[in-house]
This record gives sequence, C-alpha cells and structure tokens, in this order.
Amino acid sequence: MSKFSLLMKQLYKSKLKSKSFISMTLLYVIAMSVAIFWSDIKELFTGNDEAQQIAIVNDTSADLSGIFVSNSDMTFIQDESNIKKLEQQVKDGKLAALVEVSDQNGQLHAEISTFQPLKLNDQSTISSLLQYAGQHYAVQKLSLTSDQAAQIMAAKTVISNKNLNEASTGGKSEEEKQSGLWVSYAVGILIYFFISTFLSMITTEIASEKGSRAMEMLLVSVKPATHFKAKIAGVLLLAMTQMGIIAVVFLIYAKFAKNGVIWEMATSIVKELSVGYVLYAMLFLVLTIILYLIVGALFGSLVSKVEEAGQVLMPAMMITLIGFYVMLSGIGNPDTIIIKVFSYIPFTSGMVMPMRIGATDIGMIEPLLSLGILLVTIIVAYLFSLSFYKRSVLTYSTGGVIQKFKTVLKVTT
Amino acid sequence: MTLQLQHVTKKYKDFTAVDNLNFTIEKGEIFGLIGQNGAGKTTTFRMILDLQETTAGTISWNGKPVNSINRDVLGYLPEERGIFPTMKVEDQLYFFGELRGMKKAALKKDIDFWISRFELEEKRKDKAETLSKGNQQKVQLIASFIHKPQFLILDEPFSGLDPVNKDLLKDAILLLKEQGTTILFSSHQMDNVEELCDHLCLLKRGVSLFSGSLLDLKKQYGKTKLSVRSNWSTTELLQLEGVKDVRVEKEQTVLLLEDERFAESIFQQLSAGKYIEKFSLDYLTLDEIFKDKVGGTVVEV
Repeated sequence: MSKFSLLMKQLYKSKLKSKSFISMTLLYVIAMSVAIFWSDIKELFTGNDEAQQIAIVNDTSADLSGIFVSNSDMTFIQDESNIKKLEQQVKDGKLAALVEVSDQNGQLHAEISTFQPLKLNDQSTISSLLQYAGQHYAVQKLSLTSDQAAQIMAAKTVISNKNLNEASTGGKSEEEKQSGLWVSYAVGILIYFFISTFLSMITTEIASEKGSRAMEMLLVSVKPATHFKAKIAGVLLLAMTQMGIIAVVFLIYAKFAKNGVIWEMATSIVKELSVGYVLYAMLFLVLTIILYLIVGALFGSLVSKVEEAGQVLMPAMMITLIGFYVMLSGIGNPDTIIIKVFSYIPFTSGMVMPMRIGATDIGMIEPLLSLGILLVTIIVAYLFSLSFYKRSVLTYSTGGVIQKFKTVLKVTT
Repeated sequence: MTLQLQHVTKKYKDFTAVDNLNFTIEKGEIFGLIGQNGAGKTTTFRMILDLQETTAGTISWNGKPVNSINRDVLGYLPEERGIFPTMKVEDQLYFFGELRGMKKAALKKDIDFWISRFELEEKRKDKAETLSKGNQQKVQLIASFIHKPQFLILDEPFSGLDPVNKDLLKDAILLLKEQGTTILFSSHQMDNVEELCDHLCLLKRGVSLFSGSLLDLKKQYGKTKLSVRSNWSTTELLQLEGVKDVRVEKEQTVLLLEDERFAESIFQQLSAGKYIEKFSLDYLTLDEIFKDKVGGTVVEV
C-alpha cells in the first residue's frame, strides 16, 4: 500500500469510528425522518387538543352560517344569541372567543371578545374567515342570484406565459421557480452544514497532529505534499460517505415510507428542475467542499496546537455564514444584485448559484462561468497551499492568522 | 554508508541558526551532537531529514544528496514527544512500520520483541494518551526505529526517563549499533554522551566549536584536573606553579592545571616524600569541557 493510501485509510477509519461523525450522521438521519414524518409527529402532539369553542352572533340579516364550518381545531356555536350569557361563558373559560358580527354603514363589522388572548394560529384563521364573510356580505347586499354570487366568489385569473424571444428556450414557470427555490434552499443548507463539519474536521485533524508532534514523525517518512493530499482525500471520502448514507436512507424512506408518495414527489421535483440542475448542484456541492478542505488544511497547518484551531477557523466560518445568509435573503427574492454578485465569489457561489439556476431565468453562461471561477480558485488554492504547507506545518508560532502567515514566511525564507 | 555534512548553513532573515557546519558520521558509529538550547541541533536534524532546506552547503548519505534518497532508511525521534494520542500502542507501531514500507507480518516479530524489551507488555492495547510520559516516550522510540533504519536520529532521547529506563534505552542504542545502525543523537546530559558516543560535535549558537572523537577532545585539554586531599590551604595551593584555579569540594580539593606537566612537581611539593591520601590526575569530564567551551554558563536541562 502506498504511503498516501495508508495515511488516507488511517484518517478515514479513525474518523469513521469517531463519536462526532456517527452522531452527526445520526442527526442528519433524524432530521430527515422528522421532516418526512412531520405530519404524523404533529398529529402525535396536537391530536389530543380539544377543539376551540367559538361563538358567532350574527346581528345582520345575511346568512353567513355556511362560512363558519366547524373542524377539528374549532367548533363554531351559532345558535345562541344571548350576548350576556355568552360573555359569561367566555369569562368562565367555556368559550375561547365570542365573535359578534354586525352591519356598520353597509360594511361587515366583527368584534372578537376573549378572556384569554387567542393563539396566533386561531386568530389568523378567524380573521381570514371573517374577511371572506365580509366579501360574502357585500356580494349578498348587491342582491345577486346565488349563481352570480358564487361566480364572483370563485373568480380567478388564469395566467399563462408566452415568450416572444424565439432564441430563448422559454422562461421557467412559477411552479418551477418555486420548487427550484426550495430545493436550492435545501442544497444551500446541506452545503453549509457539510462545510462547517468537514472544514473543522480537517483543520482540527491537522492541528492535533501538529500539536501532538506526531507530525514530525510522519513527515520524516512522508513528503508534506503527500500528507496534505492524503488528508484532503480522506476527509473528502468521509464527506462522500456521509452523503452516501444520507442518500441511501432517503431512498429507503422514499421507496417504502408512506406508499412511495415521497418518491413521486422527489421525481416530480427533479423533472421540474431538469437533470442539468441536479448535476450543477452536485458539482457545486463537491467543489465547494474541496475548496474549503484545502483552506482548512492550510489553516490547520498554521496553528501550533489543537486549541488554536477555532481561532483560525473563524474567518472561514464567517465566509460560509455570509454565503448562507445571502442565500437565505434569496428565499424572498432570488433576483437581487447581491445574489448575483455572491453567485460568482468562489467561497459562496456553491450556496448561492444553485439558487439562481433553480429559481431564476438564467442563461447557460453564468453557471459555467461561476463554476469556472470556482475551479480556477481551487487549482490556485491547491498549488499555493501545497507549497505553503511544507513550510508552515513544522513552524510553531503564536498570534493571529496573519501573524502566523508572517512568521512562517519569515522563518522559512 | 556515511553521512557527510559540508559547509551546511541555515540562515533566517535576522539570524543564522547553523553556520558552516562540517562533520562526517561513519557506518555503525554513534555520534553525539551537543549544545545548549537554541544551539542549532534540531535545525541540523531537520536539515538532514529534509524537513527544512539548507541555505548553503550539502548533506549527503553514501555520496548521494540526502533529499534524493529513499526516506525509509532514516529513523527519527523528535525532541518534542509526539504520538497519536487516541491510537492504541500496538496499532501505533504497526502504523508507523507500515508507513515506512514494512509488511504487517514482518513487523509482528519486531514489535513483540521491543514491546517486551521495554516492558510495555501490559500497555500494548492501551491508548497512547493514557500512558505515563516515560512510557509514551518508549513507544515513540520504538516507533522511530521499528522499520530498522540504516541511520537513526534521536533528539534528546534521555530527557524525562528515570534511571532504569535510561539504562534500557542505552542498551537498546548499543544493540542497534551492533546491528549496524548508524546513530546520531543529541543530549544535554553529558554523562550519556560520554558513555555512548564515539565521535561528537559541539555546537554553540550554530557554530561548531569542536568536531571529532571524544578522546581527541579530551586530549585537547590534557590531563589537567587534579583531585587531592591534603591539609594545604586554598591560598597555598593557588600559589603553586601551574595552578589555574582551586575548587574545594566535600571530600577533596580540585586543582585546575595550566598543563599536565606541572602535576609532577606539585606532587613532590604536596607529599614531600611522605604518604598522601589522594592525588589523582585526570582528563576533564565532558561536562566540564562543555561548560568551558560554551562559556561556563549553566546548561539548561
């Protein structure tokens, strides 16, 4: 076995068995399980809740009873009109709220009396029902036939897109953009978590070898460049393993849980997004991780002991955080200039570009350009780190990151 | 099978760590590199091991530049003890052995041999971090030569070991020498150097003060250390011809002579033809030579 594969194997095996890796992987699986079985879990917690009792007193002549339909969350009581009695029941806690609906200058007016404030969720449900009732009331006052009224209430604009630019392959529909947005969001979060996990893993791994002085023992038999490459390859392999485990668990869930509903959902999302998108997302994911691993290895070689690893990790973590927040800002509006700018910056493009590809109308050139910048950065960072690593890995210095860089340059030139 | 350093120099921006160092180590020899902290010993080792580049000069092994040889012929025990804290003792030795190109099956015999020789039998399945400092050092020492290197560098191998373990280590070094290993080691403790080394090099702030055989170094000073037990006072002794310095110790008085030849006349005067309890002329110890060479400052250990 070559020295490279020996080093890689040793790192891979020891980390695979480490508590942090196992617990992190388990956490992903648990998070995925919770997401997939969310409705069942919610039921488990909310299923036993009694429906809220809400009394509706209608002082107008219009018939609004059809709007307030009882369900599992709320029961509407509409056959009692004694306000005093109802108010007493609210005070006693038998009723959650009393809603008094009356006419004021031709508009529907509703007064909600409570003893204890309503929960936000219930409040908004009642508000929207009342809103709807208000429209209904206005329509009824126009003395239309019930058919006409129903037509107005059900009115909806049908929108279809037509692109007059023949050269373009056609913009994405809103559904496509919407699902693109959510998938990109998921990809971004995944990249963020993977980077945080494996960036700190490689940095602390190298820092601990340096700190425990095992590094000198290793570097006598292995060239620094080989060591550097083996560390990156080993951690990358771990990242792939974790991704693999997550993917397999997801596939099992998708195929067997809930009669394959999730599988259908996933395939329909992939169809909507095109295979190209999935490929791009994967490429960005892997390349971004590689870039951060190179940086992490370089930073790990700078510190003198493992306790200092956090200190050098800080700047890199900040950059991932910036990328993450820029991506989050895109959830509301993925077309802003800040998103465009960050989709080209190599350290953040992995999180931001997939969103642009998925959720906006973007040409072929932009993603390729961003990918190209990322690749070039990786190559430059790799070559630089490789030559710097040899000098920094046995230099023990104090101070901040910049101070450490300076010390390395000073004592090795 | 020789290691040769010619005009080896290592310069940093604002100081010179090693300045024009020259020495040769023959096959099967034990060579000591002596100097205070910061004298340039570790830097020299790192340059030999190609962990640091030389600013000038050449280092060759059997006539070939040291950075072009197969590194598995080298073994190194760093000054700062370093092993994998969470790896088991046995796994650690297998790992370093395999990393040096050995097969697992071939390693087993040697690992068993050295583990029992260094009395680590009970610890072989323990994690390295749970071991005492001395035991960790023994594990690391085994790791440094488990692949049977032709040339072994030991940086301060004795520091932190108790007398029993020190003897174990000395025996191991002599056994390796018997097997043909060339050994270069550094130490602050001169008694170890004196006992083991055939040749040595004395470093002071990167400059070699002496390089050659131990006997030659001692001969340079001659037999100038005279221990006596007499009723002469210090002032009287100092007035004797050829006496440079007088030091009163618990059981004896030590005179430092300008030259060996004065000893005879001093004997005549002290004894005056009568019985004398102690009169012993000897070479200086390496410790004394070292202190004299580097300027009498206290050696940090």
